[in-house]
Amino acid sequence: MVTLFQKLGQETLKGVGKLGRAMVFITHALTGAADLIRRPGLLVAQLYSIGVLSVLLIAISGLFVGMVLALQGFNVLSDFGAEESLGVMVAASLVRELGPVVTALLFAGRAGSALTAEIGLMKATEQLSGMEMMAVDPVKRIIAPRLFAGTLSMPLLAALFTAVGVLGGYFVGVGLLGVDQGPFWSQMQSQIDFWDDSVNGFIKSIVFGAVVTGIAVFEGYDAIPTAEGVSRATTRSVVYSAFAILGSDFVLTALMFGD
Amino acid sequence: MQPTQAPNDALVSIRDLSYSWGQRKIFDGVSLDIPRGKVTAIMGPSGTGKTTLLKLIGGQLRPDRGTIHYAGKNIHALSMDELYELRKEMGMLFQSGALLTDINVYDNVAFPLREHTGLPESMIRSLVLMKLEAVGLRGARNLMPSELSGGMARRVALARAIALDPSMLMYDEPFTGQDPISMGVLVKLIHDLNKELGLTSIVVSHDVKETMEIADHVCIISAGKVVGQGSKEQIADSDSTWIRQFIDGAPDGPVPFHYPAEDYRVDLIGRIDLNQRH
Repeated sequence: MVTLFQKLGQETLKGVGKLGRAMVFITHALTGAADLIRRPGLLVAQLYSIGVLSVLLIAISGLFVGMVLALQGFNVLSDFGAEESLGVMVAASLVRELGPVVTALLFAGRAGSALTAEIGLMKATEQLSGMEMMAVDPVKRIIAPRLFAGTLSMPLLAALFTAVGVLGGYFVGVGLLGVDQGPFWSQMQSQIDFWDDSVNGFIKSIVFGAVVTGIAVFEGYDAIPTAEGVSRATTRSVVYSAFAILGSDFVLTALMFGD
Repeated sequence: MQPTQAPNDALVSIRDLSYSWGQRKIFDGVSLDIPRGKVTAIMGPSGTGKTTLLKLIGGQLRPDRGTIHYAGKNIHALSMDELYELRKEMGMLFQSGALLTDINVYDNVAFPLREHTGLPESMIRSLVLMKLEAVGLRGARNLMPSELSGGMARRVALARAIALDPSMLMYDEPFTGQDPISMGVLVKLIHDLNKELGLTSIVVSHDVKETMEIADHVCIISAGKVVGQGSKEQIADSDSTWIRQFIDGAPDGPVPFHYPAEDYRVDLIGRIDLNQRH
């Protein structure tokens, strides 16, 4: 019994310790913002590898999600003779929820895992340590550009996902299933509110971007510098990101759409 | 043994240093001086924390007790900014080389210059080529780190370590895993660089022959303590049985061949309790 409590206490202390380390680390990385203003090239390089290289994955996924939404939505809506609301249904689901959430989950798998593995390997091969001894702060030089690039890329990728998803819904709904395209667009235009829907979705995607990238860079930096350590860190990075995305989505949705 | 140099000759002076890793005590009251302008060898069996000592001097680790002064400054009392400023005066050669793997040799050597100096690219080019020439790898500037042999990677890392013209260089196991030719090249490079650039060098190693060849001052560490310190000749003529065993590479002696274990026979057949037998 005592050992059970001891173990529980140990695990709690370990968790709290890790959270503390993560906060100190992220704060340290945020101070690197000043260097990025002086050297925007560092940020641009990361925007390319984190953001631009994810574009194809996000666009194709968005297209399919939009197409599936239209198919499923059409089946339900046609029972009530409300096929004309298909446009609103597709757009609202994408803008409010699926755009930010699915993009963030894909982003964690595509970019987050890569970041963790990259930084973990740099640690394992003493590159971070070597930088410290060259009087270059690796947290500012390596972590900060990645953290900011990830946070900036996410809302853009989510916007792309949503836009392509709506197009996918249009192809299936209007092109395949014969929904009238007049009400498809006009209802979407009148029902989707800029502030309530678009801006809230945008805020979500920024939060998810910061959370996913923050988890990814911290797990890489905190990894045990061995092959197994890096592999575990990469797994943890994706798992924690998924939990954090879905958990914070609930909280944000409750705050934004709860009343 | 007391340090042989007066403290004011020392670039680095370590006093009463203790450091533990988890439950294991790595250093227990180590005091030693690194004399200015000389090659100091720190030797000891594997696992005695020689690399840890370099990381403590570089301020990457914090001691539990004791102080390390570099040119009169207490390294662990400095602020982060002051520490980074101080590290520009130190170069460190990691065992693995620690080259940045996604940029080529040229850019690796240029890295500290571009980060710290703000010099124009044309001047950086001249500096990089000079540093690469010093280690004999000017022709290898376009290779990627993955295309280099272990010895070449270490030479590139050395060129990078001297890029900012440091006043002290720390070498972490520079000879380990090198073929005889690379070893000879590195021995010559460490010796020549120290002389020509007026550096202070710390070489951490357990390759006795090569290290004794270039060292002016030798310090031997074992089990968290300094067991011998002095000039190369003093160490070579030491009559301490422990130092003799280490220098001569004898398999058994004060350092036992066997890791501590319970009695061999008992371990094999188990403990037989005579009272329990029926």
